[in-house]
Amino acid sequence: MNRKKLKVIYFSLIAFVVLFLAIGQALPLGANDSRTVSAASAADAPAEGQKKKLVMGTSADYPPYESVDAKNNGEIIGLDIDIAKYITSQLGYELEIANMDFNGLIAALQTGRVDFVMSAMSATDERRQNVDFSDFYYAARNTIVSKKSAPLESEESLAGKRVGAQLGSTQDLYAETIEGAELKKLNKIPDLIQELNSGRIDAAIVEDAVAVEMTNANPGLTMHFLPADSAENGYAIAFPKESALVSDFNGVLAEMAENGKLEEITQKWFSDEKEQSNRLLNIDFSVLQGYIPYLLKGVYVTLLFTLVSALFGLVWGTILSLFKISGIKPLEWFATAYTSVFRGTPLLVQLTIIYFATPQLFNYDIPALMAAGLAFGLNSAAYLSETIRGGILAVDKGQREAAIALGVPYRKMMIRIIFPQALRNILPALVNECVALLKESSLVSVIGVTDLMRRADVVRSIEFRSLEALLFIAAIYYVLVLILTSFARKLERRLRRSD
Amino acid sequence: MINVTDLTKTFGKNQVLKGITTTVERGEVVALIGPSGSGKSTFLRCLNMLETPTSGAITIDGTAITDPKTDIARVRQRIGMVFQHFHLFPHMTAIDNITFAPTQVKGMPLEEARKKAKELLARVGLSDKADSYPSRLSGGQKQRVAIARSLAMEPDIMLFDEPTSALDPEMVKEVLNVIRSLADSGMTMLIVTHEMKFAREAADTIYFLDDGKLVERTKPEQFFTKPQSERAARFLEQVL
Repeated sequence: MNRKKLKVIYFSLIAFVVLFLAIGQALPLGANDSRTVSAASAADAPAEGQKKKLVMGTSADYPPYESVDAKNNGEIIGLDIDIAKYITSQLGYELEIANMDFNGLIAALQTGRVDFVMSAMSATDERRQNVDFSDFYYAARNTIVSKKSAPLESEESLAGKRVGAQLGSTQDLYAETIEGAELKKLNKIPDLIQELNSGRIDAAIVEDAVAVEMTNANPGLTMHFLPADSAENGYAIAFPKESALVSDFNGVLAEMAENGKLEEITQKWFSDEKEQSNRLLNIDFSVLQGYIPYLLKGVYVTLLFTLVSALFGLVWGTILSLFKISGIKPLEWFATAYTSVFRGTPLLVQLTIIYFATPQLFNYDIPALMAAGLAFGLNSAAYLSETIRGGILAVDKGQREAAIALGVPYRKMMIRIIFPQALRNILPALVNECVALLKESSLVSVIGVTDLMRRADVVRSIEFRSLEALLFIAAIYYVLVLILTSFARKLERRLRRSD
Repeated sequence: MINVTDLTKTFGKNQVLKGITTTVERGEVVALIGPSGSGKSTFLRCLNMLETPTSGAITIDGTAITDPKTDIARVRQRIGMVFQHFHLFPHMTAIDNITFAPTQVKGMPLEEARKKAKELLARVGLSDKADSYPSRLSGGQKQRVAIARSLAMEPDIMLFDEPTSALDPEMVKEVLNVIRSLADSGMTMLIVTHEMKFAREAADTIYFLDDGKLVERTKPEQFFTKPQSERAARFLEQVL
């Protein structure tokens, strides 16, 4: 008997490993940013030693410096991109762009995944400790954005007001020095706009280019430039320490300043003003025009992700539930401890740890979608193992005895007799888990997986309008859940046909 | 031939079997009788190791099934068991219930298994129920399918654990008739039952158990007319 059980456990472990590997194989397809120019090749480019190619890291959510051209083919465009293209072509390199989270750019430089970074990055002293910077190619001014109905025009006027800034930005550092202001740090520019519009903050400190876009998109807002402060705010190109490229790039930059090329590119992106539409209504879905196909592609990513993590969770959860009822103490302890830990810590924390700690601990650059599938699968398995265990125990003891008395081996008994009946018992719970997974999948946007939520964020950052894209994807999520539940109802009816 | 030597079984502090020794010959039909809690069912369940005996030995045709080295699953294939509550697989039709073990355990081709299952269904009078799910069958029909399911493995021995106790009275007869015809065919059988009339007519030997001991082991005629022990006499007084 015991030997049989062990066999099952070996079999399960092997299945788990195979599945794990399979995910690793399958996932990089949709991983990271499918819209990037060639993010996938970024990782191997430097290693291949193709001298004629330079990989540039950027966080394409900051128009007009860099953004995803979601209305067209999803290419990354912007002021930084144009400058980078010009410099690399002057130097005789081919340019490749890798889109990633702003917070990951420095790390990408240090680990050699990219050759340089252009992402409207200020050359702060802190950053200088880790990377080398080129000369400045642009100096941004801090700008106060406030409501037209209650305009704020100078630093002094901000005293006693609630002031918002983007967390970790240069403006955030500046805002901290404003005397008497109550500071509120938010993650995203669109969040700032939303808070302004709803009156939770009185002013937002952003840089000039962003302010222009914000006020263009939101007629109720106005802006006031603050005097350009020292060189602190200058944007520069970042390189790994001791990179030989710095002087080459500086040479071309100097040329560009000389021959007017720099001015030309800057003009191109700053004079490209949007048509002043009459957006009197607070909500205007016409801003989504042109973005619909881009947003809808997120449905595929979201569904793929949900499917993979649900399957992984089901298989691993089943194995854990078998551990729990195996009668073998170490396996029982393991499964119980596992469940306790994964149920006892927030999913978002697990996700972030897996994504950011894996490269550090295992020296493996885990693709975002795989990290997400893993985190969600591992987490969901903890919940499912309890559900499945309950489902198995709820199957009449006589079923087991009848199968044993017929001489049916343990594995066949479990697969053909016990599981089908357990599955029927727990189907409603499984559907609940799938619905939860589908909705919680929006969490993966924090590590840059381009699911529905992330795409909505991209649109928000481009349009500087907050609500429309969110309402749109909320509707999509709801429809997806409706489809899922009706599908589950059919399945349940099918399973119950023997009643 | 089944040899049982000094069999005991203890659940926690409760000793259910207190040393049973007996022999069942090939083709013998044994009816196990006794008050509830006397250990009848536990004894029966020890014979195919659904319960692991606390001590003692059981050999079947020379194979010591209580020996941990014995491949008990193989032995079980030769011992059919019918339960009080049928335990049909609810997610399979009647015929799938019957073909499951032969195809999955013995590797019999499905076609052959189905042909055989149909014969068995005819034998228990349920040819028209082949494709019915258990939930669509009456208690008596379920029990007959369960018997057919056991027979599909072509066992040498059949164990019946109160096969009619969960049935409505009008269905008892149809099940007993099937068991009786099986007894007449020369199958070795042990039946735990409360149907005294049936035991008297169908069994070769009556085992009377009380308080975990095999108190009497006699021919039905003698047991029902002149029970040797006082306990058996008192029991018969109550049930007849």
